[in-house]
Amino acid sequence: MASRSNPIGRVVAGLDVGLLLWRAQLKMFLNQTLRSRKPGRIAGTVVSAVVILVAWSWEAIITWAGVQASQRAPVQIDTVHLLSLAFLVYTGVLVFSSLVFSLNALLLNPDLDLLLAAPVPVESVLAGRMVVQVLRLLLLSLVFTLPALLVLAIANHNLLIPLVFAALYLLYPVFVVVILSLLTLLLVRFIPVGRGREIVTLFGVILALGINLLNFLFNPALRDSGFSRRPGVPPSLPDVPAASATWLPSGWAGRSAAAILRGDWPAAAEWALVLLAVSAAIFVAGTILSGRLYLAGWIQAVPPRRRRPPALRARRLNGALPLLSPVLASIVVKDWRMRTRDLAQLVRFVTPVVFIFIIFGLRFGGLRGAVQSLGEGPAAAMVGLVPAWILLFSLSISLGLTAVSLEGKSIWVFGVSPNTTLRFLQGKCLSAAVPTAFLVALVALAAQILIRPGWLWGATAILLAVAQAVTVTSLMVGIGAVFARFDWTDARRMLSPVGVVIGMGLFVMMTGGSALLLAISLALASATGFSIFTTWLAAMTISVGGAVVVAVLGVLIGNERLRGLELG
Amino acid sequence: MLSTRLLTKRYGSLTAVEDLDLEVEPGELFGFLGPNGAGKTTTIKMLVGLLRPTSGTARVAGIDIMAEPERAKARIGYVPDAATLYDKLSAREFLEFSGDLYHVERRLRDRRIDALLKLFDLDERGNDFLSGYSRGMRQKVSLAAALLHDPQVLFLDEPTVGLDPQSARQMKDILQDFCKEGKTVFFSTHILEIAERMCTRLAIINRGRLVAMGSLQELRHMVGQDGQSLEQIFLELTGSREEDVSAVLRGLEE
Repeated sequence: MASRSNPIGRVVAGLDVGLLLWRAQLKMFLNQTLRSRKPGRIAGTVVSAVVILVAWSWEAIITWAGVQASQRAPVQIDTVHLLSLAFLVYTGVLVFSSLVFSLNALLLNPDLDLLLAAPVPVESVLAGRMVVQVLRLLLLSLVFTLPALLVLAIANHNLLIPLVFAALYLLYPVFVVVILSLLTLLLVRFIPVGRGREIVTLFGVILALGINLLNFLFNPALRDSGFSRRPGVPPSLPDVPAASATWLPSGWAGRSAAAILRGDWPAAAEWALVLLAVSAAIFVAGTILSGRLYLAGWIQAVPPRRRRPPALRARRLNGALPLLSPVLASIVVKDWRMRTRDLAQLVRFVTPVVFIFIIFGLRFGGLRGAVQSLGEGPAAAMVGLVPAWILLFSLSISLGLTAVSLEGKSIWVFGVSPNTTLRFLQGKCLSAAVPTAFLVALVALAAQILIRPGWLWGATAILLAVAQAVTVTSLMVGIGAVFARFDWTDARRMLSPVGVVIGMGLFVMMTGGSALLLAISLALASATGFSIFTTWLAAMTISVGGAVVVAVLGVLIGNERLRGLELG
Repeated sequence: MLSTRLLTKRYGSLTAVEDLDLEVEPGELFGFLGPNGAGKTTTIKMLVGLLRPTSGTARVAGIDIMAEPERAKARIGYVPDAATLYDKLSAREFLEFSGDLYHVERRLRDRRIDALLKLFDLDERGNDFLSGYSRGMRQKVSLAAALLHDPQVLFLDEPTVGLDPQSARQMKDILQDFCKEGKTVFFSTHILEIAERMCTRLAIINRGRLVAMGSLQELRHMVGQDGQSLEQIFLELTGSREEDVSAVLRGLEE
């Protein structure tokens, strides 16, 4: 084995560290799932495996049908360009995932200190991280495409297809992962201590918003007209002519993939070797450079920011709120501070609002015209509630479902305080429902002003939106209490997937039921001759009353669950 | 002030605490000692109402902690081992929040917060986020929060971990002053020197069972040798095997 003091030795040691980390992660995965001895987790793993098998079967059937159709009616497709384009699009995914992974690995993962303390060169530790990321991406690519590749191998009588694709999946991410890791090493030198989580979140949100915005603006499926197209490329695909260029890795990977699909394995091997040579060179260079960058300066270069002294700070909130008892007010104020001061939490607030603006703002003219064509009256007012419901859906899940889990490991503070869990839940309902109801009311008001269904219909619709915001969010707080998790260290892990599914289901039932009741009220008025306003008000009353009952039940069930927990 | 009868906590087949009988009087500074995993933290968590005992009873300030948890908790202050606090609150904001949770009248709360921040030398950094605090500073904030509502019994789980010698001394003085007012301190520690110097009475727990309780003098009588240090008594009662440790270390050298 090469000595660890020379560059190649360090790269080899990096591969060793990467494989070691990969094995450790695999063991942790097995320990948390199949070996956990917890029936719930084992059942969850089995269900996930079944879901994947069903999805694989479905993918295999679709691919088989596609192969059969293409044999009956051959289509002229530039496969080199198509596959190069696919690899280029995959590069976007790689950039996104690598950036988040690298920032996580350098700023948040607690095992970095452990690894750096081991008698392994810094370069090898950083290279090991890159290896783990590449292996993870290989696994993900195979999970998504393996059935299709197997079907293609059988249909083309060419068993090399899955093997060559697997090799491409392994080699192609290397240059992105290495470049992003180096950029991250430069970037983290400017991130203050303790702000890593926020920066990772910020990057994640910016990238998510950017991708959605670009998709919305440029995806031909969402546009009136697509890009100018190259001859031979299917019309529904956006075209990037340079994707298949011979000087881009996407072009090499695309050529290799296309060659193996047509059975030309020497050409496939030739382009795969080009990719292998460049990836290996970049990996070696990246490993050496990463060590230099790491040693040149570390994140502690930027000192933590001190807060301004009290004299300069406007202390508007000292825990007191009008009409609320000190205990409830203190919970509301504390949660407000936690949500607004922690970027990871703030994002839960802001992202749904931004998405509402993207979705409705960019298509504002057309949507307004369509709704205004309904004329004045309850139907227009009800349709005007849709943006408010979409916002309520997002906020009630992001704020309501996380309200209890927000306490995390600090839950002991409530556990030892002389207050009942119901009191705690009341505070949580208020802390989540007040901002949600405020934002939902604003969106509902804006929609009603723009649609102009008549002031009476508009006002009642806004009232309904506010009542639903309060009840739905309180219900989510109750569900969040049932599925509370206080062991999270990453804000993204606060939500229980089961809780989210149940919450989403109940939200659809409540708002769908409400819409149905309002529609029935209109039909009833025209069928029986009752005043529309009378039937509309009756429907609203039933709708809100039902929502209150469901919300109270949800909170009480959540309370029982919390009472049964040992909060130490 | 504090009493337990046959207090037991089981986690499945594991018995963390078994048939624990304790009696602590007002004004006592009571040390609760034991090796790692002996059941100290579990006992304290049961006494402050964070864990439910499997069986047995516990009364704090004359109130059954299981039957009337809210009433009992109003009389308890608790400082956990490695307290997790709200990172995005300042120390002052955390203390305000804590005071409100314990129903401390607002003006009195603010007065006490000022005094406690000054007492713990945190007044200059009281408006900094807790995320920037060291472990020792967090420990001080945690103790300040526990004292804010003027409890009758103070429970501390390894309170001196992370404190510098000055702060440890300061904490010792504060706890002794607290006891002079007729209130009770119940704390667990690994640092036997502190327990030896501070505590009026001690209890030693091993593998979930109480093995000894009394003043230092009474413990010495129990092991039958006057003049022994608390460390020697502790090792004798908890069955530490120094010879085995030496043998293992010698084996590692080979």
